[in-house]
Amino acid sequence: MELLQSIFTYDNTMFLLEGLRTTLFFAGSSILVSIFFGMILGLLRNYDRGILGKLAAVYIEAVRNTPLILWILAIRFLVPIPANYSGICSLTIFETAVIAEIIRGGLNSIPLGQFEAAHAQGFTFFQTLRYIVMPQCFHNIVPSLLSQVITTVKDSSFLWAVAIEEFTGKGMILMGRFASSSQVFLLFASMALIYFLINFSLSLIVRSQSGKKPKLAPAV
Amino acid sequence: MIKMAGVHKYFGNLHVLKDINLEVKQGEKLVVIGPSGSGKSTMIRCMNFLEEPTSGHVFLEGTELTQKNKTDLIRRTTAMVFQQFNLYPHMTVLQNIALAPVKLHGVPKKEAEEQAFQYLDIVGLRDKAHVHPSTLSGGQQQRVAIARALATQQKIILFDEPTSALDPETVQEVLDVMIRLSKENITMVVVTHEMGFARQVADRVIFMDDGSILEEGKPEHFFENPTNDRTKAFLSKILR
Repeated sequence: MELLQSIFTYDNTMFLLEGLRTTLFFAGSSILVSIFFGMILGLLRNYDRGILGKLAAVYIEAVRNTPLILWILAIRFLVPIPANYSGICSLTIFETAVIAEIIRGGLNSIPLGQFEAAHAQGFTFFQTLRYIVMPQCFHNIVPSLLSQVITTVKDSSFLWAVAIEEFTGKGMILMGRFASSSQVFLLFASMALIYFLINFSLSLIVRSQSGKKPKLAPAV
Repeated sequence: MIKMAGVHKYFGNLHVLKDINLEVKQGEKLVVIGPSGSGKSTMIRCMNFLEEPTSGHVFLEGTELTQKNKTDLIRRTTAMVFQQFNLYPHMTVLQNIALAPVKLHGVPKKEAEEQAFQYLDIVGLRDKAHVHPSTLSGGQQQRVAIARALATQQKIILFDEPTSALDPETVQEVLDVMIRLSKENITMVVVTHEMGFARQVADRVIFMDDGSILEEGKPEHFFENPTNDRTKAFLSKILR
């Protein structure tokens, strides 16, 4: 108990919570921006036969097949922007590629008959996407998107490597101030527990969502 | 209303439509029959460019259908009912019917929904207005699809095997709706295997095989005195 008190003093707790806030903010904002750009890239890769579609494919494959930490380091040291921006940027660059593929999977799950029905009514391609295809696509990929949020919360801990003070980074700083190894060990365990609690509750949401929402298959 | 002139369609090397020439008059009920793979579905799908002809011309209400004007022209002229219904599963029945009138034809939402109820009355499904299509039987879904086709108030409705995916006991409820429609001044093109329906409703029957129209005529002539040997063989197999 004394040990716990020595770790979680008011100042230390506030220090950690600030890091946690940064983590959640980074993960949340990069996911939101990534959904926007991922949608554009996914649509381009799926439906554009021209140069833009090819560029989208190159981007997606290049980013998905390289480690996140590489992008974090590259953006931090090659692009002259403040540390926090570079953190969000690198996460967004990476997540955009992953989410583009999730969205593409969602698009490919829509039966061709939906496009045909829309065509036969005289919807343009963009109207078809807007009113008919994208709503079904997002409905179907909600579980995958939520799991990607979990992954991003965890992956944002890599930002510690470029001295961005998110949750893991703050923890590391605190550990440097501790004298005893048991303090360090206990802080480690507590941080793991907090990551676990956040992500486990997110995954419970995923599970209840995927149980509740039946896949929108055309009823035949 | 619909005119096809010298239409050919290839899928790769497969020649599925061979020089189709066809004219459908305003208000005419045209029934297209023929064995599987004869090209009848491809032909009806060429009428609204779900398949684009490899060569030849398609005219809707006097205007040639082109890659460029297709969305606009189809929006103004035709509706289609599919074998697999193709209702929009994320919308209620009412939303399915009102979507095109509201988004494409500028009908105010409230008015479109009132009209949708009228079309649901025609197909006998007013009480299903607020459910999702997946909770309906195949026959009910197809009747909703017919209401959706009616809602855009087109002069032409294309039916591509509307009863082929249905349980036998729900086929008749869909046919009954179509028979009722046939009394209206709507141009109907129906690809079907339902010979009783063809006999009862058709102004003209077309028999297709191997990508060509082999025989056409009034249903009485067609079913009683077919002249083409291939037609005779086909009819003898399905009419008992």
